Amino acid sequence: MERDEKKLPDVLEKETTRRSFLKGAAVAAAGGAVALATSGTATPSLAEAAEPRKKPALKYLFAERQNCTGCRACEYACSVYHTGVVRPSMSKVHVMKYKGVIDVPVICWHCDDAPCIESCPTTPKAIQKDPDTNGIILDEKICLGAKCMKCQEACPARFIRANPDTGQPLFCDLCGGDPECVKACAAQSGNPQGPCLMANKMGFGVNQAYRNVTPEEAGEDLLALLFYPNKTGERR
Amino acid sequence: MAEPKGGCFGRVLEVDLTRQKVTTRKISDELCQTYIGGAGMGGHLLASNLKANHDPFAEDAPIYIGAGPLNGTYCVSTRTSFANKSPYTGLMSHAEVGAHFGNEIKWAGWDGILIKGRSKKPVYLFINDDKVQFRDAQKMWGKDTATADDMILAELKDPYVRTAVIGPGGENKVPYAAVIVERFRAAARTSTGCLMGDKKLKGIALKGSKAVPVVDNKKFYPAAVAAKQLAVDKEGWQGIKRWGTAGLLELKHWGTGSLITKNFQTTWYPDIEYIGAEEARRRFWRKHTACNHCPVHCMKIGVIREGKYAGLIAEGPEYETGGLLGSNLGLSDFEGMMACIELCDAMGLDAISTGGALAFTTECLEKGVLTPADLGGMSLEWGEADGYYEMIKKIALQEGKAGKLLAQGVKKMSEQIGKDSDKFACVVKGKELAAHDPRGDKARTYSYTLGTCGGDHHEGTSPATLARWGMLNSMVMCSFVGGYPWGKETPGVFTAMLNPLCGWKMSGDDFWAAGKRILTQERVFNVREGLSRKDDTLPYRMMNEKLPEGPKKGAVVTSAEMKKMQDETYAYFGWDDNGVPTEKTLKALGLDYLIDDVREAKKRL
Repeated sequence: MERDEKKLPDVLEKETTRRSFLKGAAVAAAGGAVALATSGTATPSLAEAAEPRKKPALKYLFAERQNCTGCRACEYACSVYHTGVVRPSMSKVHVMKYKGVIDVPVICWHCDDAPCIESCPTTPKAIQKDPDTNGIILDEKICLGAKCMKCQEACPARFIRANPDTGQPLFCDLCGGDPECVKACAAQSGNPQGPCLMANKMGFGVNQAYRNVTPEEAGEDLLALLFYPNKTGERR
Repeated sequence: MAEPKGGCFGRVLEVDLTRQKVTTRKISDELCQTYIGGAGMGGHLLASNLKANHDPFAEDAPIYIGAGPLNGTYCVSTRTSFANKSPYTGLMSHAEVGAHFGNEIKWAGWDGILIKGRSKKPVYLFINDDKVQFRDAQKMWGKDTATADDMILAELKDPYVRTAVIGPGGENKVPYAAVIVERFRAAARTSTGCLMGDKKLKGIALKGSKAVPVVDNKKFYPAAVAAKQLAVDKEGWQGIKRWGTAGLLELKHWGTGSLITKNFQTTWYPDIEYIGAEEARRRFWRKHTACNHCPVHCMKIGVIREGKYAGLIAEGPEYETGGLLGSNLGLSDFEGMMACIELCDAMGLDAISTGGALAFTTECLEKGVLTPADLGGMSLEWGEADGYYEMIKKIALQEGKAGKLLAQGVKKMSEQIGKDSDKFACVVKGKELAAHDPRGDKARTYSYTLGTCGGDHHEGTSPATLARWGMLNSMVMCSFVGGYPWGKETPGVFTAMLNPLCGWKMSGDDFWAAGKRILTQERVFNVREGLSRKDDTLPYRMMNEKLPEGPKKGAVVTSAEMKKMQDETYAYFGWDDNGVPTEKTLKALGLDYLIDDVREAKKRL
């Protein structure tokens, strides 16, 4: 038992372990996290040392919805990173208050099939995926903006909002691989519950199911999960 | 008159409910530097526009809902300030409330909202950036705050809108009615809810899409990050993060000996274990909720899982609500207490004044100075939650003999009842005391008696902290985050944010001067209404009855102690022996415009 515990930090410790593993195995990130957890610490550190340090390749954002406290640190961090000032209307992650009780993080799940890109009518497409990070990138010169918004309709997670200044859709570019929202969330979570936003640890596979839930449905789910453990229902 | 460069927009939205018109009032950078914003700016708008003895229910009586320079910026946990002349106490009063409402005011491009006039029919305001709508609220009139909140969001078809609404308490003009912001936060201690009811204003819905301009982001951003880190690192706030202020219920019982119990008869309440934080964790809490950007998330929401209130979602207990509607009523029935707390939120009542009135009535019944016949056959008993629950409903609706009597509040009740009931009427300046017994927590006396609002627990624990709190309420920041740096960090942590944000050159001395100015201006307003040293004192019970048990057994606030606190405060702020700001002080603080008023007021004192 003691030995297992001692071993544990080694597995989780270094992000470099994951990076070299991903690189070496060249797997889709979908299986990566599982494989990592089971394959242990065998990866040699030699390759690691040889590699120049670069940003980790992130593939998905993930929200553990029930951990959200509605503090909106993610919106703050996102808008500061992208616009220099705090401006939640320009944020690429939102927190929706549901019935005054529930906080629903509304994020881009970076779906593999990307219905937003699928729906984009321009040629070439104004919306692209960054091949390294999986972030969604908008070419503002090509995008038709407010008169189109086909992507907004197509998004099953109802994530996409319009830029209040230009009318063009806002997309999550994963901050080039190191999402600010994830760091901001982690920085103020942990007592007593863990962070809500995570990157690439939990996003494999399930994100395809998660993304089909609208924010309102997610709110209703959480309300049921957290507040109505029995069917006695509401007073009002 | 220079326009503000950063932090503030220099624009206050003036709303005339009578004519359903809005105008923009320009605010200069000088004015922002002088009065900062929030409560300070509200105080200035009130003091400079109202004459002495202005009728708080007059059509032109204003309500100022103010944000401060820090709202909407990277700064952590900024709040909203509601300032008005309270129809309950007749004094200048302000309440600060958390949630996201104040930030949304800023993001909509305003520094504050000044509401005047009276609508003929119930309306609510919808402010979306520069667009302001007066919308029909007739179908929401009479509805509780949670329902009204839901109805407004459904009607506007936008879940990202933030609301502040009143409940039946405000509609029926209960003088201690509250405004409930985003369902669970109460701006309660100013009677703003009552005024909104009088103006037929059911609520305000807000949404903004702008950004607050920052003069020097390179300096401001790290300063705001550092201020946030201060809050994250302090161990004390880790406790609040985990337990909310409910954790203080146990602490003040076992430790400080200041947990109010049964209308301030004692501070020793072993039953606290049935209604405190540990019990709430065990059987109630389900979710932690934070105000904007706040690492502390002190708000805990839960659901009642058994008994007749099963399924009821409520927020709390907080220290004040759990104190006033828990130990103060002798309750050990957790579900009953939570139902009472939720009912105050739903009805839009100040839980502190409501709890005070309920406890006072119970003691009156116990001592026989009131009989059930005086209450239309109703009775209240320590620990009987159902009776209290029914009574809260009656108060909100001003229903029957009991509802009408209790809705007046403790001071007027005691005057009406007589029979020495003033000996246990725990009010300061006409307002019920909060949940800190000043005999166990003597420093709290400053806040209760020498703060602006009266009976308010959140205005400082020494002369300097009174000034600092004046600044917090004007910037507008939460004391759980901004309030922690009691010592060497104040005022540096604040000026480091304000200066690069607004392009000011505020020194530490300027910071303290602004705090003194804000408090002194509020003081002059209240002096004009006839307030002086005689009012800056605790009620009879605190100064004559020794605490019978608990860690502070035997404690009492002596008149010598009381006088010392008054003298210290007057000296610190530059007020005379009677607590009236001197001309020299007014000149030094740049409040020359109030000199004539003070001269007039002195003749009447």
